[in-house]
Amino acid sequence: MNTEKNVAKRSAEKVATLTPATDIYESKEGVVLYVDLPGVSKSTLDIDVDQDILSIKGQIDLTTAENMQPTYMDVRANVYERRFTLGDELDSSKIEAQLEHGALKLSIPRLEKHQPKKINITVA
Amino acid sequence: MISNMLRFPFSMLDNEMDSLFYPEVYRSLAGSAPAYPPINISTTDKSVDVYLFIAGMNPDDIELIIEKNMLSVSGTRKLPDTGDEQQHHYRQERFSGAFKRVITLPETVDTDSTQAVYKDGVLHISIAKRAEKQARQIKISAQ
Repeated sequence: MNTEKNVAKRSAEKVATLTPATDIYESKEGVVLYVDLPGVSKSTLDIDVDQDILSIKGQIDLTTAENMQPTYMDVRANVYERRFTLGDELDSSKIEAQLEHGALKLSIPRLEKHQPKKINITVA
Repeated sequence: MISNMLRFPFSMLDNEMDSLFYPEVYRSLAGSAPAYPPINISTTDKSVDVYLFIAGMNPDDIELIIEKNMLSVSGTRKLPDTGDEQQHHYRQERFSGAFKRVITLPETVDTDSTQAVYKDGVLHISIAKRAEKQARQIKISAQ
């Protein structure tokens, strides 16, 4: 998996987006991604897979009052975006996504034929 | 090669804000990690609103204290247990461990009327300004 394409694309577009911090683990069944998207709700999160590119895009949706003046800002954009290239052995049709308190967990299983198999030995 | 070297710093500037969420790059440039969690502060004529971007927490694990005019937010962020030894990690960018941020509030706030809501991983703290400090318009009567 890499994000180089993403970085290159973004500097070309010059649109301010945030790159969300991500942890990626390999499990027995496949790959698990944890993505920090604070401020993103279920309705403002978009996850899609185009061929082998997994795109995650989320909009920060804050309750703000009228006539608000920013005084200090660590977060200066309101869109998170990140892409990952999925390996061939992963089954992108079976991605499971859970979003809780702005933390996204994506579980991507391996294709059936790449799953570890236990072979039963019968004693004749 | 030279053109690459010249271009690099400028493309980094374009992505300056990304550095907050891109710990590896940021650390190599600045030599230190950005403060966690990121904070935005806004004011209206009636309140001071502080937003902390702190995903995946149990609100009970966040401690919020106001003492005089100092607002302090602290806690420990524990990431889901992936302690299975067979698990190989490719990337670990998310913050884990203890954090603390302290914000000095303006003198004009009424700290007794503080409201805090944790929603979608953002802790929003709203502190009203004292009534007598709110801007008001004074009507001039003609005689």
